[in-house]
Amino acid sequence: MALTPQLYRLPVLLSRIITIGTLVTFGASAHEMTPAYPEVKMSHVKNVVKVEMSLFNSREEIQYYQVDLFDLNWMPIPFSTPYKIMKVDYKEHKSFDVYIRKRDLPEAVFLCTTSKVRKTNVSRTLVSSTICSRLDGEPA
Amino acid sequence: MKYLIATLSLVALPAFATVNITGSVEAKCVIQTDKAGVYGNPIASKLSTTPADGGILPVIRIDVSIADAYTANITHPTSFSSSPTLTDTLVWTGSTTLTKMSASGMSAYNGAKAVVGSTSKFNLTLAGSAWFSTASSAVYGSAKPFPGGTYTAVVQATCIAK
Repeated sequence: MALTPQLYRLPVLLSRIITIGTLVTFGASAHEMTPAYPEVKMSHVKNVVKVEMSLFNSREEIQYYQVDLFDLNWMPIPFSTPYKIMKVDYKEHKSFDVYIRKRDLPEAVFLCTTSKVRKTNVSRTLVSSTICSRLDGEPA
Repeated sequence: MKYLIATLSLVALPAFATVNITGSVEAKCVIQTDKAGVYGNPIASKLSTTPADGGILPVIRIDVSIADAYTANITHPTSFSSSPTLTDTLVWTGSTTLTKMSASGMSAYNGAKAVVGSTSKFNLTLAGSAWFSTASSAVYGSAKPFPGGTYTAVVQATCIAK
């Protein structure tokens, strides 16, 4: 079969559709938190340490994220952060510090952020995302 | 002197500047909501996200940059986060399965998943993207019709560093 210009254009057109489709899919809403193994640093307050975290929100329907700290058995550990529920706009990177008392540090294991979902007027399932970093792991 | 300057200017080499671009790949987990689920209402007493029941399955994509650094826990709903007033009991069922993957080895995730209550735990042993679909259905007590209104339930997707 001869390769006519129309036939030649077809794979090009298909590859463009796939590329655009991939970009649209990959542009889907995402919740990202790093680092996975944060480094514990000294803070400006005596007997308090801090970890520096970064959050990226590309979930258009989400504006708020909650910060939590847990031990190995998922029991809450006291901590301090400027905002326990913080506003992170769509496509915004937010850096935040979490302050932990030195005496609580041996118990602190999971540092998590959870997206806060909003009530809707459609019968549907919403997806709440949580990402947890480990304080007792090796810094990446 | 004039000739010396002219000669030197001819042999002068152009200046080069180097600008480094550095980057690193670190363990990272990204949770994406590819598709929000929708409840279908195939019979008066049932709400279900299964396509056969007229629903849409929610699809969650989890990307990990480093192999064997995270586990994914996905919990199907066991209550409505918002609904009209319900006076009878609800029977909830649900499950989560891997439906699409970027690496063929990820197909083992379904066989290796651990189900604890309403939570499916997947060990993300390979780097790449994995798509999970969560089926959820609620049946109203004694085949009663659901009252009219909006029903919302939450699927919880968690990515935990190992």
